[in-house]
Amino acid sequence: MTTSLAIDTSTSRTTVAIVKNGVLLAQRDHDDPIAHGEILPRLVAELLQIENSVDEVVIGMGPGPFTGLRVGIVFGQSFALARGIPWRGVCSLDSMAAQIKENDCIVAIDARRKEFFWAHYVDGLRVNEPQVALTQVVDRMTASIHKEGEIYPAAGNLPALDGNIREPLYIRRPDAYPMPKGVLFRPMNQMDLVVVSSLEKAIYAGEDPWSMAQFKEELAANDRYYLVAEKDGVVIGYCGAMLAGEVADILTITVDPQNRRQGIGREFLKRLIDWSRNKKVEAIMLEVRVGNDAAQPLYTSNGFYPLTTRKDYYGPGLTALVMRKDLR
Amino acid sequence: MTEPLVLGIETSCDETAIGIVRGRTLIANVISSSVEEHARFGGVVPEIASRAHLESIQSVLSQALIEAKISLNDIDAFGVTAGPGLIGALLVGVSSASGLSLALNKPLYGVNHLSAHLAVDVLGSDHELKPSIGLLVSGGHSSILKVGDFTSDVEVIGSTMDDAAGEAFDKIARILQLEFPGGPAIDRLAREGDETAIDFPRGLSNHLDHPYDFSFSGLKTAVSRYLQKVPAAKVADVAASFQEAVVDVLLEKSISAARAYGVDRLIIAGGVAANSRLRQVASERTQRAGIELRTPPTTLCTDNGAMVAALTSLAVSSGAPASALGLAAQSSVGLEQVLWR
Repeated sequence: MTTSLAIDTSTSRTTVAIVKNGVLLAQRDHDDPIAHGEILPRLVAELLQIENSVDEVVIGMGPGPFTGLRVGIVFGQSFALARGIPWRGVCSLDSMAAQIKENDCIVAIDARRKEFFWAHYVDGLRVNEPQVALTQVVDRMTASIHKEGEIYPAAGNLPALDGNIREPLYIRRPDAYPMPKGVLFRPMNQMDLVVVSSLEKAIYAGEDPWSMAQFKEELAANDRYYLVAEKDGVVIGYCGAMLAGEVADILTITVDPQNRRQGIGREFLKRLIDWSRNKKVEAIMLEVRVGNDAAQPLYTSNGFYPLTTRKDYYGPGLTALVMRKDLR
Repeated sequence: MTEPLVLGIETSCDETAIGIVRGRTLIANVISSSVEEHARFGGVVPEIASRAHLESIQSVLSQALIEAKISLNDIDAFGVTAGPGLIGALLVGVSSASGLSLALNKPLYGVNHLSAHLAVDVLGSDHELKPSIGLLVSGGHSSILKVGDFTSDVEVIGSTMDDAAGEAFDKIARILQLEFPGGPAIDRLAREGDETAIDFPRGLSNHLDHPYDFSFSGLKTAVSRYLQKVPAAKVADVAASFQEAVVDVLLEKSISAARAYGVDRLIIAGGVAANSRLRQVASERTQRAGIELRTPPTTLCTDNGAMVAALTSLAVSSGAPASALGLAAQSSVGLEQVLWR
């Protein structure tokens, strides 16, 4: 015998419901992408007029644009704390999928910035963790797609969903990253070639490393952009890109293994993207070795999506995944 | 009505803070800051602040209740900073407060952050409230306020044209390669320096059109030019001289405002009010001018929940109506709105 107050603010719709013993007593919805904070308390107040005695709060934890999402989460948690009752978080995409009578479908919430939060459902069950992807990538997926706008989370079905999620489903990390501490980024010059080519040789042994002569040629060529990262006067990484017509091609992003996981690769990528933007190209391309699990999430989180693969690109049996980021 | 028991929530910037007061008595003040996370960026990052608020607000609330030895059911009214501030950060506090107030069917007051900074001065003693000049100096604000009544009559008579005073401290600290936040770092270093060593400019002083406004960007430029010209300058002297220029102009204008408006009380609040040199010079100059100086304890100068509770408590006692359901957080709002309708 449970009465649940259900809340979801993960999409442009604020939806709230009171469900008593599995029966929906009332649901209130309001569409407005920027006013969750003002709408939610009013809708909940209406529901409390119908049933003021609540045993649990069920909250849609996203994924969704954080500005709206946080409103439902913190409101629901605070309400539960004040009433001395438990709260439980569920996945908002699950609430959308529960309304679809198809055995293979994809459900997508508008993540803004030309991206969707999405998940794939087979026979009513979610088969992947919620993810974020560019709209055009989601549009190309093969299962039938149901996007926010056509369908929304419905608070009335939240209490019936499984799950006890305690943290918001952010998926996307904050845009701001700290600059790596004590690391200097500067253009590569002739003096760096010895160190750069020896790093290259050590890191890409067996993957066709570039020679010093090749780096020298690259530095002399037009439409190239090479940077190094220096720590305590020692070069610990380098990156480079070239212009090829309407696209920029990232040629390398390399960080000494002892200095990884400090954001140096991320900073390199950011600077290469900025350079490409200034060159007014339409896209940036790069190749990443299939199996390079450290690099791929960095590219995905910066808006690169997989385009195709190239077999034996890095040597026999070493496949490259070609990724692209659209700048226009 | 006996003295109201009021809980105040503050999340306008990087502090998640809750304070509880009974009338004018402080009974709990808990602050969780994400400042260490922001230090890596050299400033407050809005999205990081918002996420940190969401993570910490429930535990800050529980701690405040334990500190006050009360339960939420005892609270007579809730208060929350509804603006100005970072919108995403404000939303966390406002939504939390709405949830609490609806769950317990107790009134909620959305209050103005700036007025709350001054109203915190009512806590801890039962001094008579009377018209005052308020100097509010922090990382986000540098204003001179004319206060008739904390809840209904607060007017901005001067503010900064560019950087806030605290911002200027942060930027100069970065130029001097000191840590973030810059205020305490410069305060410490300046004690070893000579504040008369360099005569940095006092922005907008004796400016007839802007008698109570501030400008710190010229000072910032002057400091970096000076360092270029004199690379071997003693850093402590630069810090002390910079600080002196800021302190001088803040107090010069505040005291002349008090004189012009015929007010004999100056309240200095906000994060920069923790600056030891500002306190020292303020005490000397107000004494000379025959003005009563009030400075809240340092812990209540930076953003905190107690100040929100204090202002809300005054609102409850004055019989002001509570805010409507679904009050809207507003990132940029002046003092025309002290209490949200």
